[in-house]
Amino acid sequence: MEYIIQTKNLSKKFGKELAVNGVDIRIAKGEIYGFLGPNGAGKSTTIRMLLGLMKPTSGKVAIFGKDLKSERINILKKVGSLVENPSYYPHLTAKENLEAIRKIVGVPKTRIDEVLKTVRLQDAANKKVKGFSLGMKQRLGIATALLNKPELLILDEPTNGLDPSGIIEIRELIKSLPEKYGMTILISSHLLSEIDQIATTVGIITKGKMIFQDSIEEMRMFARQYIKLKVSQHEHAWRTLLASGMKAELEDGHILLSDQTDQHVAEAVQLLVQQGISIYRVEEDKKSLEDIFLQMTKEELAG
Amino acid sequence: MMMRLLKVDMLKMKRKGMWFLTILGPVGVIALQMVNYGVRKEYLLQQNSDYWGYYLKNISAFTPLAIVLGIAILTSFIASIENETNAWKQLVALPISKMSVYLSKFTVLSIMFFLSSCLLMVFTLGFGLFLDFNQEIPFLEVFQYSFFPFFAALPVLALQLWVATVSKNQGISITVGVVGVIFAYSAFTLPDWMIWKWPSLMNEWDDPTINVWLGLGVGSMLYIIGMFDFKRRDVR
Ligand SMILES: Nc1ncnc2c1ncn2[C@@H]1O[C@H](COP(=O)(O)OP(=O)(O)OP(=O)(O)O)[C@@H](O)[C@H]1O
Ligand SMILES: [Mg+2]
Repeated sequence: MEYIIQTKNLSKKFGKELAVNGVDIRIAKGEIYGFLGPNGAGKSTTIRMLLGLMKPTSGKVAIFGKDLKSERINILKKVGSLVENPSYYPHLTAKENLEAIRKIVGVPKTRIDEVLKTVRLQDAANKKVKGFSLGMKQRLGIATALLNKPELLILDEPTNGLDPSGIIEIRELIKSLPEKYGMTILISSHLLSEIDQIATTVGIITKGKMIFQDSIEEMRMFARQYIKLKVSQHEHAWRTLLASGMKAELEDGHILLSDQTDQHVAEAVQLLVQQGISIYRVEEDKKSLEDIFLQMTKEELAG
Repeated sequence: MMMRLLKVDMLKMKRKGMWFLTILGPVGVIALQMVNYGVRKEYLLQQNSDYWGYYLKNISAFTPLAIVLGIAILTSFIASIENETNAWKQLVALPISKMSVYLSKFTVLSIMFFLSSCLLMVFTLGFGLFLDFNQEIPFLEVFQYSFFPFFAALPVLALQLWVATVSKNQGISITVGVVGVIFAYSAFTLPDWMIWKWPSLMNEWDDPTINVWLGLGVGSMLYIIGMFDFKRRDVR
């Protein structure tokens, strides 16, 4: 399989601290890769290494199948990026800011109006960026990243500082890019909900380590449903169920049944009642992706 | 690519008042002599029978100071354009080499100081002619006093650009700049090996061309060191 981005054992040390620890990223063409992790997980550091801004302490980066170290400039010609907070020249207008990048990437001047339109900044084109709101600056950053019609777009928390309608708008925009232009996209976030609806693949990183990397469907599989029972003497109830061969888990004083067929639930309830255990509640419980994400990153912290 | 980068750097300097400072430097140096000769021309003419020579000496007392001060200000300005919103990360992620980024900044600054030197020569001649010394114009000396300080100041320029681009803390580059200006001000008392003395064109052999060659040599060396250090460093 040809990967657009492939890293091998990518690591970065700051002093003694391993900010990125043996990360293997694989992103296939046309994917929207959601790069998830809590604050300080190492997302931005990884992205910096992908762009050649930082040199890895060890490990390799290949983009478009080429080695980043030896072919950085050729690779970057086809990459658009936005790293952390958007960078801009406040004393210049939005147009001048884009022009300063356009001259270097060498695309026709008409691209400037096109990307301004794409991010809906055309009305502010001739205003100094100094006076822009955070959301407008973020849009300008995205416009800048799109300027060279990249084959690979790398966006580090692009919806930072956007209002809800802005988030939806940018999300729709990002979602449309792979189909329209065949772009491959890496987008980082510390909130699963932000990329939940657009990502095709997710990579989860905590404390510098990649702890999950697979399709979003695969991750959804973790979102199992349970029947949750609130009972008296939960410990005793749990043992009773196990003793009669039923699958049950004990969590926070609740009993979780993973087999949720009507018959199974009825049997379990009947068994418990017969044992003189009071049943207070029987409810359906579904773990959201966000819960799973939280749980995954927490487990890693504890372990 | 270099031409494009230069144009980009010039675009980024828009509305920053850097060109104004470029002109202000030589204007200031000559303006001081306008005051000086305006107030006490008769007295000054009595000091030395070589009117032009003495006039050039007076000018050259301030040129090094103006250049070193200008270097401190302009390098700090040009670095602050990228430092302000950490635009380095956007710039370096573009398909260009880090060395050309650095070279472009250095070239833009050099162009500005070269322009300052040209203006200084024009103003020196202009006000000199206005003073009507009735002596032959020493064109060679006028040229030397206008351009030699700039070449001799190249090491200071290379050093300041290096410090300004790699230190995240602007205070450091300003401190180095201020110390440099103080050194340039007290050039008389400095040993010959101090780079801040060189723009004064003074040395124990009384040959200003030595300062020019030293400036070019050590300047290139410091430039290369700065460029490689800039290339080596991670962009945060
Ligand atoms: N330039 C640096 N020098 C020293 N330590 C750094 C540097 N950059 C990042 N770190 C450290 O590396 C770790 C990872 O930081 P990074 O910015 O990559 O996290 P992140 O996942 O992008 O977090 P966030 O969601 O807050 O943006 C952090 O512990 C941070 O303190
Ligand atoms: Mg980050």
